Amino acid sequence: MKFQDLVRAMQVPFPNLTEANSRPTSPYDEGYNCIAWAAEDTYYWWWPDPMGQHYWPPGVQREETIEAFVQAYGLRGYSERSDATLERSKQKIAIYADGNDKPTHAARQLHDGWWASKLGPQIDIEHEFGALDGPAYGTVAVILARPSR
Amino acid sequence: MTTSSPAPRAPTIRDTPTLVLSANLLLAVTAMGASAQSVQLQRQLDDLTDYYALPASNRRDHRRDRFRSLAQQWRAETQWLSSTTAIAMNPAYQAIIGMGAEALPLILEDLRQNSGHWYWALKAISNEDPVVPRDRGSVKKMKSAWLRWGETKGLVRA
Repeated sequence: MKFQDLVRAMQVPFPNLTEANSRPTSPYDEGYNCIAWAAEDTYYWWWPDPMGQHYWPPGVQREETIEAFVQAYGLRGYSERSDATLERSKQKIAIYADGNDKPTHAARQLHDGWWASKLGPQIDIEHEFGALDGPAYGTVAVILARPSR
Repeated sequence: MTTSSPAPRAPTIRDTPTLVLSANLLLAVTAMGASAQSVQLQRQLDDLTDYYALPASNRRDHRRDRFRSLAQQWRAETQWLSSTTAIAMNPAYQAIIGMGAEALPLILEDLRQNSGHWYWALKAISNEDPVVPRDRGSVKKMKSAWLRWGETKGLVRA
């Protein structure tokens, strides 16, 4: 499927997404998800599911709360609360949550200020901040930063 | 000219007096202004009655068709999600879990052909988990472990 057709098909879950504010970067791969991709891991599917089936960093509470996700990324050095502005000296991760404050998605800021996202088991895209806001992921709840490496 | 009489019909659940009585009773209650729960029970009984009225070979097709339809719905509704919990709590996925052990060979065949996060359902139905702790989250290894498990149990061909 062409990206323009995919964007059209994604209008219900992601009403702000357009061809102008996003670009595809890699094909379907169910091996990892957005939470892993934000942490630059393409080997594991990260989630603190109650059945204990997927990867969750050891030592972090296995619960679907923003705090648990903050702790998980904290182990990768993302320990400072921040905002969406581009700062050359910092790398940033945005954690999305739904209306009940349940984490839904994570994205990683790129050098040009756009954000890298893996859409569930689907494709990876790069997009402007806010392009994924909507019914599927809610909105950004927390932005974390670490010194650039 | 000779005419052959129709072959005797195999007994079905419709022939079971207790169930027919229960169905009639529910119909009567519904007509009097039944609760939503009673109406739901009636629908389930109707489905069950229709299902067992089918020959056994058609029942297998019925199960397969129902599974395919639910799996398609599940994939369409969860394709953008990363939350394992949200993926597994999808109503179509839960309906597949509700099919019980008869869904296991269908799930394993689908897993082999199409992949997908079937691991929650497999664990919930079988009450087993062949994935070793160090492989949790490694989707390729989880898939291999479950397919090996299915082959060992004779649920999916090797």
